[in-house]
Amino acid sequence: MRLAGKRAFVTGGRQGIGRGIVEAFQKEGAEVTTCGRGMRPDGLAETVTWYELDVSDPEAVNEIARAAGGTDILVNNAGVQVEKTVAESTDADWDLVIGVNARGVFNCCRAFIPLMPEGASIINIGSISGNVADPSMALYNASKAFVHGLTRSIAVDHGPGLRCNAICPGWIETGMLDAGFDLAQDPARARLDALTRHPVRRFGTPADIASIAVWLASDDAAFATGQLFTIDGGMTAASPLNPGLF
Amino acid sequence: MSLNGKIALVTGARGGIGRAIVARFLREGATVYAADLTPEGSLDKHEDDGSHFVKLDVTLESDAIAAMNQLRDTHGKLDVLVNAAGIEIEKTVEETTLEEWNRSFAVNSTGTFLASKYALPLMREAAKSGSSASLINFGSYDGFIADPGLAAYCATKGAVHALTRAMACDHGPEGIRVNAICPGYIDTPMLQSFFNGEGSGGGGGNIETLQKAVRDVHPMRTYGTPTDIANLVNWLASDEARYASGQLWVLDGGLSAQVQQMRF
Repeated sequence: MRLAGKRAFVTGGRQGIGRGIVEAFQKEGAEVTTCGRGMRPDGLAETVTWYELDVSDPEAVNEIARAAGGTDILVNNAGVQVEKTVAESTDADWDLVIGVNARGVFNCCRAFIPLMPEGASIINIGSISGNVADPSMALYNASKAFVHGLTRSIAVDHGPGLRCNAICPGWIETGMLDAGFDLAQDPARARLDALTRHPVRRFGTPADIASIAVWLASDDAAFATGQLFTIDGGMTAASPLNPGLF
Repeated sequence: MSLNGKIALVTGARGGIGRAIVARFLREGATVYAADLTPEGSLDKHEDDGSHFVKLDVTLESDAIAAMNQLRDTHGKLDVLVNAAGIEIEKTVEETTLEEWNRSFAVNSTGTFLASKYALPLMREAAKSGSSASLINFGSYDGFIADPGLAAYCATKGAVHALTRAMACDHGPEGIRVNAICPGYIDTPMLQSFFNGEGSGGGGGNIETLQKAVRDVHPMRTYGTPTDIANLVNWLASDEARYASGQLWVLDGGLSAQVQQMRF
């Protein structure tokens, strides 16, 4: 029980990676609160507190932070993606993607940091797409680069009492991954090609990301701050130019 | 007990960081082979901790072969290899002799190559159990940004970083994960030696003062300890890290997240 006695606030806990983190934190003994747009999702453990929250709304975030009375662990996981190039992106796309992925992380950090105790840990969900671009994901890629920069700033400005790191997931089996493959002319072939580009020969699971989140949240990670931790099955360690796939 | 039933070999195991890794592995239920030049390594003495000592000069191919043969005969597999053996020459390129340069590469880069080369077949055996084997190299934050007067050391660590990605790429499909940990300033005999070196920027000044200055430039306001590093080694060695491969894990108290700090 590596998180016994700790309180955790996880944004975007309805499904996918966020839900995986909520479940892993619970298993490690944390008292978990999570949130999302809409009603409490089915199957969420009764001991988990659920708030209906749009993280892009600063007033709503402030209110919830006050209601929660702070937290030991903050995980900024809530995120959206729009599969478009810059030329295709509308103002509404900008407001949605930047509102949730960038402003949402800012809103939550600003609201919670003054309420977090000594030894607290913020974990932001960045992305490999913040370091290298996914095609037709312009605003998403840019929003994740924002998260990476903000992560370093928080670590530098708010240490030593607070640690802040980002996890950069690669391709994780979630609805977002399927949406990416749907862009391909031949989604099945695209999926096989993508698998071959992973040295571990599989895509990630929410549990894979949750396991590093648990470590970063725990006191085992007392010296880890200001870093971006990539969990991608080795994909970005390999050159995208892979002659074996010609 | 996250390493129950696993067989692990740690090189440089009786040095500052190596000892912390061995202690953590033992606590997590692994069978641990502690490889070093002498039972004391870079420290004054060593007390029995339940690990099996293996005499290993990582620069010698014959030593690497002998160590892995011993593991093959006893266990037939190796789940975890940690390449922690390393040396540091505190000099600029101009001051570094060819002998010192070659010695740095022989231990830090070739040593990592040799231990890995002969461990890989045993790690493939371990991976047949269904959970991946884990090979953990020691890079350094100095492989990304330089400390003054450490030219050869920085270069050897850059080599380890590239080798880490290459091995992850080549051996991932065989069930072997390969990562490197890139420590920042960790309280070890090697760090003390760096402070004593002329190139460290100490300017012959008081070591205690320098240590305070170094501490103050870290967002976490402290050096790391060998235990901090062992905590991450343990995670990477465990099955929890089953999707982590090909990465360079910087653990430096936030030091390299910031740009150069003005001192005055």
